[in-house]
Amino acid sequence: MVGKEEIFSQEPGKTYGLMAVVPAETRMADKGPEGTIFSFPLLALLELLLTLGTGLAVLLLSLARNAPLEELANPSVTTNPAKAPWYFVGLQEMLEHMHPTLAGVIIPTLLVGFLVILPYLDNDPTRAGLWFTSRRGRRVVGWTALYALIVMPALIGLDNAYNVREALRGVAPDIVAQWLVPAGVLALVVCVPVVVLRLSSGRGETSGATTREYVLALFTVMIVSSVVLTLSGFLFRGPGFRLYWPWLMPDGYNPLDSL
Amino acid sequence: MQPIRSYPAIQRLTSGRVWRSFFRHGWPDNPLDRSLVMTTNIFFHLHPVKVSLSSLRATYSFGLGIISVVLFGILTLTGVLLMFYYVPTVERAYVDIVELQTQVAFGQLMRNAHRWSAHLMVLAVVLHMTRVFYTGAYKPPREFNWVVGVILLLLTLFASFTGYLLPWDQLSFWAITVGTNIAGYAPVLGSTARAVLMGGQEVGQEALTRFYALHIMVLPLALTLLISLHLWRMRKDGGLAANEAPEAPDGG
Repeated sequence: MVGKEEIFSQEPGKTYGLMAVVPAETRMADKGPEGTIFSFPLLALLELLLTLGTGLAVLLLSLARNAPLEELANPSVTTNPAKAPWYFVGLQEMLEHMHPTLAGVIIPTLLVGFLVILPYLDNDPTRAGLWFTSRRGRRVVGWTALYALIVMPALIGLDNAYNVREALRGVAPDIVAQWLVPAGVLALVVCVPVVVLRLSSGRGETSGATTREYVLALFTVMIVSSVVLTLSGFLFRGPGFRLYWPWLMPDGYNPLDSL
Repeated sequence: MQPIRSYPAIQRLTSGRVWRSFFRHGWPDNPLDRSLVMTTNIFFHLHPVKVSLSSLRATYSFGLGIISVVLFGILTLTGVLLMFYYVPTVERAYVDIVELQTQVAFGQLMRNAHRWSAHLMVLAVVLHMTRVFYTGAYKPPREFNWVVGVILLLLTLFASFTGYLLPWDQLSFWAITVGTNIAGYAPVLGSTARAVLMGGQEVGQEALTRFYALHIMVLPLALTLLISLHLWRMRKDGGLAANEAPEAPDGG
């Protein structure tokens, strides 16, 4: 039929749907534009301020203090002490207490491995974007930080005053003093907060510790220990890489000169 | 006070063909043009058009990610300036640094800025990671971006470490000797990895050449690439995790 356009087909295969309005919460509930703001100009201004502030801080620091430059490199004259750059001096500190492969390779590899798998261990997306996740999380972090802040310096001091490796020399094979004892002590340090969390199950406002709380404790042990070891190696190690108070360094050695 | 756009000079400037060839949107004082600022500008397009006020709180992020990027920018600028005066050979490296500090206008300042920015960047990146961890911002869908961040941390450390050797003074020589000795303790691969990194068994010209190439070319390129990926993914994953956080946190 020419000229007569068929708009509504009467084909029997066609299906129809019946729509209705139902009073219920939409998927966008609480996700609307409330509490949002246009990125321009406020965010752009904040970023500009951060850029200028960072630039100013670097400029003032550069005017106040010169970058160090010692004598020409001389492979035949070892500096005393010879230290790694400050961010690796924590590893150097660990070398003082255990086998170099354990301190310099195995432990750093384990830590990087822990960081990489961390988001796959704790994959519960609820309450992301909140500091410490909950009040209980904040307490877990606080107590773990305090614990690591006491235990790690104590262990450094203890190993310095009473050297386990020297005491065991000739008594037990090297593997005990260099590997088993330090690895065991560190494993114990890491395990204590985990066990405490495990035992705390059922107490407090939640039933049982969540994966997030275990990870909070483990990360806190890691970050606080790293800070303690770095500070110990950077500020408290003087000539011969021996422990001194930073203000009582012999031979006029100033750890800050090697930044 | 009348709005800036109503001044005749501003109007003439912004309605001209040159201006309009730069900016493909009108004066950003209305929702449409404020959106277009973000979507038509390469420097802004990684930002969402709108952000939540909770993600802008200074005590949420402390701006540490942006500070890290800014420090990387300062390092790139001052690094290029340093390259104009520095030749990475055992004979010249140290002399060039001394001359830079004493003969070149603002040479000492340039070197200071490069060194302090490098230390600050390591610090800012570590603090940024700590912040992201404690706010739980690594949780799905942001898992992979956290992994990219871990790689960026390692690249930052390595970039700083390779730069540490370049002044070729006692401090850099022995710090790199101690640092690379640690890498040498790895079983089986340790001494090989160390030899590949240093081009030999001791810190010498080969090590200086390799550290220089890594420091000025390989690592900055890798960092630029991964920072881009990091920022792009952050945008794709919905910005800061604070956007999804419940309104009233019980932790305060």
